[in-house]
Amino acid sequence: MSEGMFYNVTAGYIEGIVRGYRNTLLTGQSYGNLTQCETIDDVKLQLGPAYGDYLASLPPNPSTSALADKAMDKLVAEFRYLQANATGSLAKFMEYLTYAYMIDNVALLITGTLHERDTRELLERCHPLGWFETMPALCVATNIEELYNSVLIETPLAPYFKGSLSHQDLDELNIEIVRNTLYKNYLEDFHRFVNEDPDIKGTPTCEVMSEILEFEADRRSINITINSFGTELTKTDRKKLYPNFGRLHPEGTLMLSRADDPEGVRIAVDGVADYRTMLDQTGMGGSSGGIGNQSGGIGGDEGKSLEDLFYQKEMEISKLAFTHQFTHSIVYAWLKLREQEIRNITWISECIAQNQKDRIGNYISVF
Amino acid sequence: MSGKDREPVFPTRQSLGIMKSKLKGAQVGHDLLKRKSEALTKRFREITKRIDEAKRKMGRVMQIAAFSLAEVTYAVGNNTIGYQITESVRQAKFRVRTKQENVSGVFLPQFESFQTEGGSDFQMTGLGKGGQQVARCRETYTRAVETLVELASLQTAFVILDEVIKVVNRRVNAIEHVIIPRTENTIKYINSELDELDREEFFRLKKVKGVKEKAQAAEEAERKKKQQEQKAKSGGDSDKENGNAASEEPQETKNVLGDEGDEDLIF
Repeated sequence: MSEGMFYNVTAGYIEGIVRGYRNTLLTGQSYGNLTQCETIDDVKLQLGPAYGDYLASLPPNPSTSALADKAMDKLVAEFRYLQANATGSLAKFMEYLTYAYMIDNVALLITGTLHERDTRELLERCHPLGWFETMPALCVATNIEELYNSVLIETPLAPYFKGSLSHQDLDELNIEIVRNTLYKNYLEDFHRFVNEDPDIKGTPTCEVMSEILEFEADRRSINITINSFGTELTKTDRKKLYPNFGRLHPEGTLMLSRADDPEGVRIAVDGVADYRTMLDQTGMGGSSGGIGNQSGGIGGDEGKSLEDLFYQKEMEISKLAFTHQFTHSIVYAWLKLREQEIRNITWISECIAQNQKDRIGNYISVF
Repeated sequence: MSGKDREPVFPTRQSLGIMKSKLKGAQVGHDLLKRKSEALTKRFREITKRIDEAKRKMGRVMQIAAFSLAEVTYAVGNNTIGYQITESVRQAKFRVRTKQENVSGVFLPQFESFQTEGGSDFQMTGLGKGGQQVARCRETYTRAVETLVELASLQTAFVILDEVIKVVNRRVNAIEHVIIPRTENTIKYINSELDELDREEFFRLKKVKGVKEKAQAAEEAERKKKQQEQKAKSGGDSDKENGNAASEEPQETKNVLGDEGDEDLIF
């Protein structure tokens, strides 16, 4: 319990703030109100208490993407505030959180460079959380070799490139493989960090984050497997993209790497009850083979895709993270919950804008 | 449609023949064009119906497609997915070729959509998450674009057919209301003129005959006079005989003249 004694010295303020943020998350009732809205303006009005200042500048009847952007702005501003106040291991922890977005940004910029686009325009499209100081420098590079040798090395992501990707790979491999390789390396590194960092090791942070990261790793493995059916991705290449930890590792991932169809995936995850029930719920192990039929049914459990169920699970884990005290993991949990909230708002307003109310209940609310 | 509305021809038998064949041609042409116009109109109605259906279908499909895009945004969770996809596409997978369809002499272009072989360029997009939604969205949009192509081909046919039907109908009406009556008028005119000529000729011949008869009679009288004068010189008997002969002779000449007149008429 020693961690409890001194945690508040460095990170108590942040934890308090995050718990405050958590309380402003939309509740089931708020979502209920949102789904009753007739227009985007109504949605805007309903979001008033939570997002007031940020939505104020929107024109009447804004587009859903504008709404989502503003919601994201709020998240970014709050995250920046936390990051500015974080010290020690929490600051490092929050840096790790941003790496995931950096990977997306770098992948975006690499795509731009590969197709010889003006990468400066791309900077606006980048996720603000994944911004790092040397990112504009990526735009200086005009070819992949230059990008790899002089620019990527300077980024925080350099260790993830090192050893697994050469500059030829950037040119030849599909950008999605590059992205997923980076992500795998990132997850492994993050996992190592929470388990080995002297400040975090043995604290609730380690415990909770390990659970979250293991779930994330498994989710990626399963998703990659399912999404790669019918593509050019070979089984050996696929195996390289699986993170080397998680509840499925190593037997499950080995079997996943051999799976040819959804049935194979089901057998592979048979050892872990949570994933097995998820796959059973989507009806994927059966003969129906309705992969990702998010629009398959209207409401109800059978309308959920595996993706939805994973999100649901992630939200539940994140919610449970708040039951622990003196831990960094609530920052991660809060970030994920807020992201899901933004997705929910986008989904609901999209449903309202497109007049497709029958599926409006497909959002995920855990509070 | 008065008698004045006719073609500027000389009322001769030759032009009568020409006019008659022209009338016949006009009637045949009228029938054919009318039939063509009917066939086109039928096709036109069919296309209108199909356009209506296609437009409704397009509304539905586009709605579903737009919604599936919303699903992708939800599943992937960021806005850059669109950019990633547009950048990873190297060549068009969904293509359109045209062929021509012949509807009673009108060439209607038809657009036919087809997909090139091979996997999609962005099949790996969303490998980590949202890949299934991306694939689904791609399928929905493929269907949406198919509907659009179908609609485009129908719309083009619609416009072309509309134009052609107008032209054909104009021709049908022109033949029915202008060319046929005018030709008929011309024929009527030529016929009446020819009859008039006949009557004039007949009258002229009658006149000629009259004049000739008068001249004959005068000549006869002269000759009688001369004969009488001769008889008076030779004797009374011969005078009587001559008189009988003279009275017979004019009858014969009358017949001969009549024959000549007939011959003239025939000539």
